[in-house]
Amino acid sequence: MNVILSIAKYTNNHMKLNWSNYDLSDSFDEYISSKKSVRRHIKKIGNFFESLSSKEMEELDLATKAAIKSLGINFRVYSEGESSERTWPLDFIPRIIRKKEWDLVSKGLKQRTKALNLFIEDCYNEQKFFKHSTMNKDLILKSKYFFSFCKNIKLPNSSWSHICGSDLIKDIDGNFNVLEDNLRIPSGVSYMLENRYVMKRVFPDLFSHYGVSRIDEYPLRLYETLVESSFKKIKKPEIVLLTPGIYNSAYYEHSYLAQQMGIDLVEGRDLIVKKGFVYKKTIEGLEKIDVIYRRVDDEFLDPEVGNPDSVIGVKGLIKCWKKQNVSIVNAPGCGIADDKAVYNYVPEMINFFLKEDPVLPNIKTYLMSNKKERDYVFENIRKMVIKPVAEAGGYGIVIGKTLTNKTKEDVIKKVLSNTKNYVAQPLINLSTTPTYDKDIVAPRHLDLRPFILSGKNVYVTIGGLTRVALKKGSTVVNSSQGGGSKDTWIVDV
Amino acid sequence: MLSRSAKHLYWLARYIERCENIARMVDVNLELILDFPIDHSLNWKSLIDTLDINYIYEKKYKKYNEENVINFLFEGKTNYSSMRNCLDMAKFNIENVRDDLPKTASIALNHLYDHLNKESISRIHKRKILPHVTETVNLTQEFFSSINDNLSRGYEFEFIRLGRFLERVDMISRIIDCLCITKSEKQTYDFSSMEWISLLSILSAQDAFRKISKGEVDRGEVINFLLKNDSFPRSLTRCLTILRLCLESLPNNENIILKIRSLRLRFDVSTFDKFDDEKLHNFLDKCQKDLTSIDNLVEQNYF
Repeated sequence: MNVILSIAKYTNNHMKLNWSNYDLSDSFDEYISSKKSVRRHIKKIGNFFESLSSKEMEELDLATKAAIKSLGINFRVYSEGESSERTWPLDFIPRIIRKKEWDLVSKGLKQRTKALNLFIEDCYNEQKFFKHSTMNKDLILKSKYFFSFCKNIKLPNSSWSHICGSDLIKDIDGNFNVLEDNLRIPSGVSYMLENRYVMKRVFPDLFSHYGVSRIDEYPLRLYETLVESSFKKIKKPEIVLLTPGIYNSAYYEHSYLAQQMGIDLVEGRDLIVKKGFVYKKTIEGLEKIDVIYRRVDDEFLDPEVGNPDSVIGVKGLIKCWKKQNVSIVNAPGCGIADDKAVYNYVPEMINFFLKEDPVLPNIKTYLMSNKKERDYVFENIRKMVIKPVAEAGGYGIVIGKTLTNKTKEDVIKKVLSNTKNYVAQPLINLSTTPTYDKDIVAPRHLDLRPFILSGKNVYVTIGGLTRVALKKGSTVVNSSQGGGSKDTWIVDV
Repeated sequence: MLSRSAKHLYWLARYIERCENIARMVDVNLELILDFPIDHSLNWKSLIDTLDINYIYEKKYKKYNEENVINFLFEGKTNYSSMRNCLDMAKFNIENVRDDLPKTASIALNHLYDHLNKESISRIHKRKILPHVTETVNLTQEFFSSINDNLSRGYEFEFIRLGRFLERVDMISRIIDCLCITKSEKQTYDFSSMEWISLLSILSAQDAFRKISKGEVDRGEVINFLLKNDSFPRSLTRCLTILRLCLESLPNNENIILKIRSLRLRFDVSTFDKFDDEKLHNFLDKCQKDLTSIDNLVEQNYF
């Protein structure tokens, strides 16, 4: 048994949290150093948690859960064709990042997103990047997210992925690396905001002592980004949020953001195209729309150009966009850069488009279509993670060290049958943070998803959504697969 | 405002108001029984009659006893008007318009939902049923008062009010009608004033009624009060006035207002205290038909 901090319910007053008994693993822990001392910027909150009785810990956990339930914060999970609503899992022990460290990360994210947006516009226009890079053109031109109707289109501020969610992880040395960039329709920001809302109610005393940076300006910044995406310079454009509907896994977020920004939350059936313009159906008749913040996948956006059976899209929408009568956020076709093989070239993009050196490191990525790299991966498969290039939500990922001889053969066969579809990365030992797990406080692995808004300026959220794997040793943080979350505190200490 | 949002708000309000009225009926019946513990003529069937769902009820149960009726009204899966089903529909509708409503409204609905789903009504101890039902009524009121206190007066508010008061007119006219047609011939006690007092208490109207009518409760006065009082918010004419006010704040309203005016006129020219049971029943029956056509017009004009 590695569980040291087991707090027995019936001996409340004796089994208090004591960091010197904390069950450190071989990963970088963000609270406790390898010498078992509480890190300097964590001291205050570390002491606070040590001062609590196990009864108080349990009460905090219950209070957190009760607040989430009463607010109705939930998400939807699909498995085997069934869908069910689940209460959002929030761990009450916050993740803490120093402001100085965050400022640098923030700078790196801005740089990255700028380069990616310029890259996307370049792919649909001059295609200068290919001429200077070793990147195989087909990676883009044959991507399922490359749409020929986007060719020769230039967008205001060259913003294609107006809202980007990049996944960051801390390695064994405690440095942030970019794991992937979600450029299409990243979700999670509402949970970042709600986590803070709940935490403020559970820990009012801590916030006043700690000097935690505010995060609540996001909806305002998002609104500004949407305004700036409009083709016509109107002061108050008519903006709507297009959702696939209440059964979508991120519906809670769609509704939350629409409410925060005071815009209408619409479904495809609420919109109609007439003479090149998009309208919403209101009780007073039709009303023209200037900007659509869509949370519907490219494929389903317009049955005329995508999936002809789509009932969640709007017929004729893409034509209106091409005529610049309505702006679509994120722009159709921006998915070409949301690909784990393209990811490998982001540092090169930063050099090429911005003439700068990348601030944030990438994780070494092996393209399985390259024989030399592939052979290396197969030889070292136990140290690798193999990923399909265009999947989201953590699906289809193979972790090398979990393979048996039999499953290993299966994976190799699968990769060989379509090498272009896979990349591999060395298995990174994700950092950990203390997490409350049924009476014990133990290290659990986590990642971080900040959100980057690209309009006239680029804005990065103060911190982001921290996702945590709730099972011991697990690195799967996706909420659809049993992951939890934490409030992320950027503190000036 | 989106047509679809208007529809969801309208139905959200209707379902919660329906839930409240059903809870009120059960509440009063439970209390009435305490006053006549050994009288078996006091029946639970009238509740099912009021909602006109006997054919569904009889598919499931043979006897109209307290346990069956309460179970059916609270949780009956096949009963589309059961509180559980109403709440599920309310949840579905609020999901779609959560962004149009104050946060406190969602929280209030969550409380109501948890209250009714925490435990099956059949497992609640007899001693605790009455407070359980009363609490249900209180929680529906918590929802509406959060709307009243926190939602700006605008289309959203008007559609909620429209749904709520149309549902209320519908339910109240059913409840009164039911008393007229199901009065038992075999009454073994003096029910004449009891039944009218219970009617007043279903509608939380005793106090308001007492203020204007003292002494022995008189059938004619109660009926006049519940149908024609223009200040009490559960009297039918008052509800019609509120409906007219709602519609006046909405666009495209002419034909519906006309319909409500003509219905209101029929109330104004009727002297209900002189109506016998049959005449009253016919009047309310006609009133129900008008409500259906008003509901259809709302659907046509806005959704």
